[in-house]
Amino acid sequence: MFSILKPYKIWIIGLVIAALVGNGVNLVLPKIIASTIDSYNAGNYSLKTLVISFLVASSLIFIFTYLQSILQTYASEKVAKDLRAKISDKISQQSYSYVLKANPSKLLTNLTSDVDSIKMFVSQAVATIISSFFVIIAISVIIIHLNWKLALPILAIIPIIGGTFFFVLGKVKVQFKRSRENIDRLNRTINESIMGSSLIRVINSQSIEFEKFLTVNTSARDIGMAILRMFAWLIPIIVFVSNIAVIVILALGGHFVVQGSMSVGDFAAFYSYLALLIFPILMIGFMSNIIAQASASYRRISEVLNAPVIVAEGKDESTLTGKIEIQEVSLNYGDKPVLKNVSFVVGAKSHTAIIGPTAAGKSQLLYLLSNIIKPASGKILFDGKSIDTYDCNTFYKQIGIVFQDSVIFNLSLRENIAFSGEASEEAIQKAIETAELKEFVDTLPAKLDTVVSERGSNLSGGQKQRIMLARALVLEPKILLLDDFTARIDRKTENKILCNIENNYPHITIVSVTQKIASIKHFEKIVLLMEGEIIAEGTHKELLETCPEYVQVYNSQRSTSHYEL
Amino acid sequence: MNYNLNKQKEEGKNASTFSSLKMFLALIKEEKKTLWFAFFFIILNAFLSLFGPYFIAHTIDTYVAAKNYHGIMLNALILLAIYIVAFGANYLQMILMGGVGQRMLFSLRNAVFNKLQSLPVDFFHQNKAGDLISRINNDTDKLNIFFSQSLMQFIGNIITMLGSAIFLLTLNFPLGLAALVPAVLIWIFTKSTSPWVKRRNALNLKSVGALSGEVQESLDNYKVIVAFNRRDYFRKKFEEANEDNYKTSVDAGISNNIYLPVYSFAANIGQLIVLGLGIYLITKGAFTIGLLIGFIAYVNNFYFPLRHLAGLWANFQVAMAGWDRIRKILNLENNLTVVENKVQEENPAYIEFRDVSFTYPNGKEVLHHINIKLERGKTYAFVGPTGGGKTTMASLIARLYDTSKGHVLLEGRDIRSFEADERTRKIGFILQEPFLFSGTVRENILYGNENLQAYTNGQLAKLIHESGLETLLGRFEQGLDTQVFTTGDSISLGQKQLIAFMRAVLRKPELIILDEATANIDTITEKLLSDILLKLPASTTRVVIAHRLNTIENADEIFFVNSGKVTPAGSLEDAVNMLLHGKRAS
Repeated sequence: MFSILKPYKIWIIGLVIAALVGNGVNLVLPKIIASTIDSYNAGNYSLKTLVISFLVASSLIFIFTYLQSILQTYASEKVAKDLRAKISDKISQQSYSYVLKANPSKLLTNLTSDVDSIKMFVSQAVATIISSFFVIIAISVIIIHLNWKLALPILAIIPIIGGTFFFVLGKVKVQFKRSRENIDRLNRTINESIMGSSLIRVINSQSIEFEKFLTVNTSARDIGMAILRMFAWLIPIIVFVSNIAVIVILALGGHFVVQGSMSVGDFAAFYSYLALLIFPILMIGFMSNIIAQASASYRRISEVLNAPVIVAEGKDESTLTGKIEIQEVSLNYGDKPVLKNVSFVVGAKSHTAIIGPTAAGKSQLLYLLSNIIKPASGKILFDGKSIDTYDCNTFYKQIGIVFQDSVIFNLSLRENIAFSGEASEEAIQKAIETAELKEFVDTLPAKLDTVVSERGSNLSGGQKQRIMLARALVLEPKILLLDDFTARIDRKTENKILCNIENNYPHITIVSVTQKIASIKHFEKIVLLMEGEIIAEGTHKELLETCPEYVQVYNSQRSTSHYEL
Repeated sequence: MNYNLNKQKEEGKNASTFSSLKMFLALIKEEKKTLWFAFFFIILNAFLSLFGPYFIAHTIDTYVAAKNYHGIMLNALILLAIYIVAFGANYLQMILMGGVGQRMLFSLRNAVFNKLQSLPVDFFHQNKAGDLISRINNDTDKLNIFFSQSLMQFIGNIITMLGSAIFLLTLNFPLGLAALVPAVLIWIFTKSTSPWVKRRNALNLKSVGALSGEVQESLDNYKVIVAFNRRDYFRKKFEEANEDNYKTSVDAGISNNIYLPVYSFAANIGQLIVLGLGIYLITKGAFTIGLLIGFIAYVNNFYFPLRHLAGLWANFQVAMAGWDRIRKILNLENNLTVVENKVQEENPAYIEFRDVSFTYPNGKEVLHHINIKLERGKTYAFVGPTGGGKTTMASLIARLYDTSKGHVLLEGRDIRSFEADERTRKIGFILQEPFLFSGTVRENILYGNENLQAYTNGQLAKLIHESGLETLLGRFEQGLDTQVFTTGDSISLGQKQLIAFMRAVLRKPELIILDEATANIDTITEKLLSDILLKLPASTTRVVIAHRLNTIENADEIFFVNSGKVTPAGSLEDAVNMLLHGKRAS
């Protein structure tokens, strides 16, 4: 873990130096007190020397402790910022399936709490531990020098306190782990209650959610109490042990003073040094805990940072004609096969529909075509060349995909539509008109510059889907992949949109996943997908003659078909 | 109603401190007895540890100076006895105060969660999910750190300080007074800088919330980012948030760290004053060496906890900034309260809209003077262009919102006069966006259904068979025991809609609303769903919002909803005509 500090060497060195100087000067103070008392006893006391030496020492301490804190703030925040940038950079190179598998909420924890505990390590532990060791050693040397016979029994408290820490923290560690897991559960309960807020209010299940929360919160409290019960021993034992040292100084030191082998000033200094000695021991103890937490976090972060990235090696920047071949493609979700040996061809500039029941693997097929997931086996060819040979920049500029679920970013409508970057005003207008959004946009106060909210809750379902469509069209794509995008759009608008696409984007290849046969009846090819397998493919007419399953689907919609245009 | 937490107006300074304190006190009401015990042990412990230096000073002056070793040993033994008692008191103070802290946090979290549950849907629409989550997780955690680690030390340190101050003043009043002068300066310094420090911490917490909001948005929408080749979008947005967070963190860190050096400096000056003045007093014969050593120990006892408080003070400021953010949630009130019923109709329709208008918080009126009646046992369809107000009407029936003008009547009574429990038992609403809790399919379809909770899988299977839901359940690999998750693509949108459908049907509502609830389900399965709906008791009223015509062909009456107005359509054909030719504004 210490390796992350390497690039910040200069910061860390500065930090340690400031800490050492600050703490070093701190050690001089008791010495000044002792010599003042002794010099008074000896009759050569000077107020001026006292004031000057004390003020100089105090000012130095002030300057260096503040310097230390500024340095540690900068260093730790820099480490945190760079680490976050590194993680987000890494995540942004990853595939969609990686993000799904790694779980967005876990990645969020990596970017926030895990980075925070490393930040804590840098800001508190590094300098504190080094300067604490320094102080302990320095004080040991000083008091041994003052009177080694008294010093040795005093120093015996170091292993005792160290041992207590070791023992208690060892026991508490298990609880800490439980506590962490419980916090995760707590967060999940809160998150679900926020994301499912509408459902909860429709069902009036607030009390159920509260019960869930109460259970987790109660165990959070119990774990907290278990940790407390152990920690409650820690401080009293340490205080008691250091008090024993006080008694030892009194009894043994008193003995030496009585004997005449020690001055009263030195005797007083021992008390001051004892007070200075306890603090760093405590600090090391507490820091060991921070280090343990930070190294656990670092392990989790390393997992993300070390995950292999599938580098897109494709260099081919050629223009797509729109011809797609899917050859013996299989896909699994966990152990569950989603697509089994699927093969079909989409002709250039043709219109192909994929229909089939819920959970047949239709959406996954579109994901494969847009290369956001990879098949377990089989090939996907564009113009006869594997999808992976294409340069992803040019590839994605030629593929427009409209997902089933609406994704609206917290940006202006313009930025949402021109999401892929460069888009001319003309292209935007054309896309908006095609998606039948013009009227809606005109009703907005700031037109295209209206900022829409995160979950798009101030937009209706159909408006969101049309924005998604405009986002895909603005690319002027060669291939348009549509995933059930008209599910929430009324029939009239749907027909208009389909018409608009054909008129405004005449040479486009369309692959459309849909439930409605009526709107795709005239497509060149219809593929019927069921449970991951192709049941049949052909034109509407062919399928009606050859495929009973298709006829069944058709009949389920036919009762209203006489209303079609 | 303004529920946006980032736009809540700030209260007056005094009012906020006062109400903060009041809320805190409410949280510790039950802890009075424990607190008294804890205070007793804290004071005992502080007294005993303060007594130590005095006792040592006394020993030095009387026995060490007199070279009486027997006396030294005797006092050492007495000291040992004192320390043993102090040990016990120390332990008890820890365990008692720590317990109070843990229980306080427990009640606080409960209070926040409870409040969250009591707020209407509007609240969740006006705030970013990421920001809310950060507020509750991150900010309560800040309070947690304060309660579980700092509070006890805070109190202990303050008492030690007070005790030391008293000892200093009683041992030698002028010298004690002089020793405390730097403390007054510290007090002034702290008082004048605290608001600034708190503000910086508040800014920092805000940027932390923004950061997690950014991550949440990008990661949840990752597939769009990949498919539109905008990996740089995530990087760029994150970079901005990260940079902002860095700046506010550095600002907060530097201001939090100002206290320790200042306090240490003051402590040292205190020592200097005691030493210089003490020696002067000794030369005057008004003081002794032993007392001087003891006095220096007390000055340390006074300033050392103060230094400690410096560290804790920053924690305290962070906790207060977090508390302010949480308090904004606690201060919100649900505006959807149960009111007294003022209308009681004879032979009422099941649902009636009486001159209903509705305006969203952003000022956009989406429904204008709607008057419709829905009779028991009939099937109604709402059709019309998107954005026309269909979902809003459904939301008003389910009382997710209240009308801006006019009334919604349920069984002839103002819908606002029903208790939530009764109302939601009557009305089943299948939302446009299905939501699943992490768990099994069984848990999800029985969610909120107390009657069926105790059913064994066997009994449930029987019920499902009787309700005709069997085929739907067959769409899940492991039936009732299939694991589902809130996020991710492990099950399709269509499957989620199936679960939401089963959940609603098993609750046997009197009115069932399907808000495009089957939009992503294939037409054959959808047919099955309409058959299941037909199997519901004859008295069940059904409201279907859909775009597919075959979904609504069984409707007894069709309402055409457009631009916030409702027109009854005589027949399906009529409705289609309106859809195709009617003026549209969406």
